[in-house]
Amino acid sequence: MNLLKITASLFTFLLFFASCSEDDQLDLPKGNYEKGYFISNEGPFNNGSGTITHVGEDGVVSQNIYKTVNNEDLGNIVQFMALEGENVYIVVNNSHKIIVANRFTMKKITTISGNGINNPRYFVAENDRGYVSNWGDPLNPNDDFITIINLRTNEIIDTVSVGEGPEDMLIINNNLYVNLQGGWNQNNKVEIIELQFNTVSKTLIVGDVPNSIVADNKGDVWVLCGGKPNWTGFESNGKLAKISTSNHIVEFLDFDLHEHPEYLSIYLDNLYYNLNGKVYEMAAQSSSLPNSPIEGINGFFYSLKANNGILYATDAKDFQSEGALNLYNLSSGALLETIETGILPGAVIFQ
Amino acid sequence: MRKLVLILFLSVSIAGFSQYDSLNKLDEIVLYGNFSPEFNTGYTVEIITDTIINNEINSLGNFLQKNANLYFKQNGNGMVSSISLRGTSASHTGVFWNGIPVNSSLNGQTDFNTLPINSFDGIEIRKGGGSVLFGSGAIGGAINLSDKVLFQQKAKAMILLGGGSFKTFKSNIQGIVSNEKYFVKISLNAISSENDYPFKDTNLINENGQFKNYGIHSTLGWNFDDKNHIVLHTSFMNTDRNTSRTLTAASNSKLINKNNRFLFTWKNIGTQYISDLRLAYLSEEYNYYFDKDLLNSSQNRSQNLFSKYSFNYFFNKNISLNTGVDYTYSIGQGSNISNISQNDIEVYALLHHRVFSNLVYNVSARKGFSSNFEIPFIYAADLNFKISNNFKVKANYSTNYRTPTFNDLYWEPGGNPDLKSEKNSSAEIGVDFQNKNAKFDLTTFWIKSDNLIQWVPVTADFWQPKNVQKTSGYGLEFSIKYKKIIDDHNFQFQAQYAYTVSNDDSIDKQLIYVPYNKANSNVSYNYKRTYFNYNLQYTGKVFTTSSNSQSIEDYWLSNVEISQNFLKNDLKIGFRINNLFDENYQSVAYRPMPGRNFELNINYKID
Repeated sequence: MNLLKITASLFTFLLFFASCSEDDQLDLPKGNYEKGYFISNEGPFNNGSGTITHVGEDGVVSQNIYKTVNNEDLGNIVQFMALEGENVYIVVNNSHKIIVANRFTMKKITTISGNGINNPRYFVAENDRGYVSNWGDPLNPNDDFITIINLRTNEIIDTVSVGEGPEDMLIINNNLYVNLQGGWNQNNKVEIIELQFNTVSKTLIVGDVPNSIVADNKGDVWVLCGGKPNWTGFESNGKLAKISTSNHIVEFLDFDLHEHPEYLSIYLDNLYYNLNGKVYEMAAQSSSLPNSPIEGINGFFYSLKANNGILYATDAKDFQSEGALNLYNLSSGALLETIETGILPGAVIFQ
Repeated sequence: MRKLVLILFLSVSIAGFSQYDSLNKLDEIVLYGNFSPEFNTGYTVEIITDTIINNEINSLGNFLQKNANLYFKQNGNGMVSSISLRGTSASHTGVFWNGIPVNSSLNGQTDFNTLPINSFDGIEIRKGGGSVLFGSGAIGGAINLSDKVLFQQKAKAMILLGGGSFKTFKSNIQGIVSNEKYFVKISLNAISSENDYPFKDTNLINENGQFKNYGIHSTLGWNFDDKNHIVLHTSFMNTDRNTSRTLTAASNSKLINKNNRFLFTWKNIGTQYISDLRLAYLSEEYNYYFDKDLLNSSQNRSQNLFSKYSFNYFFNKNISLNTGVDYTYSIGQGSNISNISQNDIEVYALLHHRVFSNLVYNVSARKGFSSNFEIPFIYAADLNFKISNNFKVKANYSTNYRTPTFNDLYWEPGGNPDLKSEKNSSAEIGVDFQNKNAKFDLTTFWIKSDNLIQWVPVTADFWQPKNVQKTSGYGLEFSIKYKKIIDDHNFQFQAQYAYTVSNDDSIDKQLIYVPYNKANSNVSYNYKRTYFNYNLQYTGKVFTTSSNSQSIEDYWLSNVEISQNFLKNDLKIGFRINNLFDENYQSVAYRPMPGRNFELNINYKID
């Protein structure tokens, strides 16, 4: 009995000592969500709240982490999230706000909302400035804009008017490239905002419905255009546009008329996109579109992201219940794992 | 004069104490048409009369929740309210106005918050599959809202005024002038509310929840001779609502609905037949403003020309035949629908046979043809077996359908012109006990649907309706009514309970927004000129995700009413407390309903 007690207390002591000394040597963990990646889930369309799922390095999945930490809902339609500095910026479309939280702990810092945020879609940041694409009233084609936020004070500094339906964005060489996807309509432009002056310096015509944008190692910008879908009555083919950042010349690779690709992603200078439930890989240097998809990857995906040799593909299932994230080996196409997410899983964001 | 009205109506049913058998068959059919208990002998038809309705100043949805244990899904107080009968979807309850179908041609549904209860004189609720008699959509059941026409010397006016919490004002003015030859009834109703109740346990209020609705209704009747009645019904309704915020999203949207209805009826009543012609023009229109401060709206509308001819022939006192033909021409147009039109013609026949004095059955069938899709052949049978004077067994089996709506077929984008009709088969068996003071019934039902139209994603941003869903369900309904009169003390108790399973067969889960358990009870006490009512409603948990992973909590709701009559009962002043215990509840997720609130009503009658 006594011996047991002594052993036990000794053991506890040693454990305490050991953990103390470890702490002394290593950095303290910054929060429960310091490692791994996040999935932003839009949530049910009409009534409800989006959520954030976290997957740790050890594969441990935590659902609804923002509510767990802050005991409040994120809001209706969590469209996107982005990490910058110590913070995460969560774009809540139908609640017309950007929630700022600590990216390691998910603890809320503040909410950015007001006149300068109306139907926000995407967020990008550089040099302490955050840029949010906004649709305004989706029925009004003339009130769309980009919000500029001072990320030190989390205040809206300015807004810049753009054409209808600004969506995905990219910053390169102090220029903001904005896809004008078209919102509830279909648009066909990329607008370039010079961040030195916060004015639109150029409007490029790309293909119809530019839905995603990435940059390669050489510094070229790639814009994937879905083309107008058949139901519009003016169906047009998808296009992959390459924009030279030096002279803004646009080159095109054309898809067939009924092909409407989406979700462009880049990893190790290879482009990945989704077309008719298949995923295609194309080297950024290539001068033609790939003929055959990656074997083994099939599905009705809601977003794609290639990273660490893995393709992260979300599946919204029936849009009325929990979705899933499928992890595929990028070279073999083998399904590695399926992770349950919240409702309507959208963006996958890596720490 | 009053006595005659009372005899006619009170003898039919007050709070379900019906004596159908004593009422002349012909009269009953003239009054209720296809909703007549005669043609629905194996079903439960609940008849709510004007004596109950006249004192109400509520929306039809709220009234039916309180009095008939029906489940409604309300997008917040006063907002869009849709029914789910026996676990079916909102477009699976046929809604009728004086016997003609009024579910929207656009979405196949009725919004029960657009209908003010006291613009009608009667409501007939018939649960169970009824497409043979009622056509498309009567799967969970059918509800008829009717104007009653009585040719007798009478002049009557009624004014109802009400005021309540959240700056809610209601009014109804009604006048009836009639004699043996003519009948004129005009009714005006209006309701407006700021509807800015606080969301409990938050610092939010129900912003952008204002509504103002009004309607004008008239009924003109001509007793040409005692064999021929001609009636013209008209109804104009305008519902102007901002669509309120949710817990997570503000709203600045607005929805305006306009419904105009005209109906001409000619009834020719012989000694052995009833001939009934109905010609109707119905128009509906809605404008949805995403941002009410801007002028951009999406607008869609439809217009229907509906004609129905039915002929009932009584071979003898035990056998009769009810036949009918319905023809509809509909057009639709708007922001999401290009000019489209549709022609439907449907025929049906029902044979009514009293085999013995205690055994009655009906067999029936319907076939329709449409310019835009195929309408299946359907049939039904029901029977009623009286074991003793107090005790009856009822049973029925039916096949039913719902045809695709304009939105399903032609909505831009997505509408699918290749859709087929939804198919259903339903059965039920029930027992019914009734004596002088009490009535009790127990029904169990089975329901199976196939080819159900569901909007499914084709790509993430392109959805299309397809005939993909299969559901099956069963359930149990129980109701008890009891009344006791001792001298001037009149005591009534009624309670209803429903257990409903409605399963999405492809995933084997309960459908969203179908509560397993739903109950309702009313206790009322009447002493001379004083009336007291306590209403208790229970709505069980409902799932909000198809995987059944998330749900809205169940809730109990109590409402109390006390009223006092003055001036020879011509003036009645009533006071109500709704949600007495200030329950924080939601009908639809993230849309809190009002806490405890108050209402004062004044009802003045001039005879």
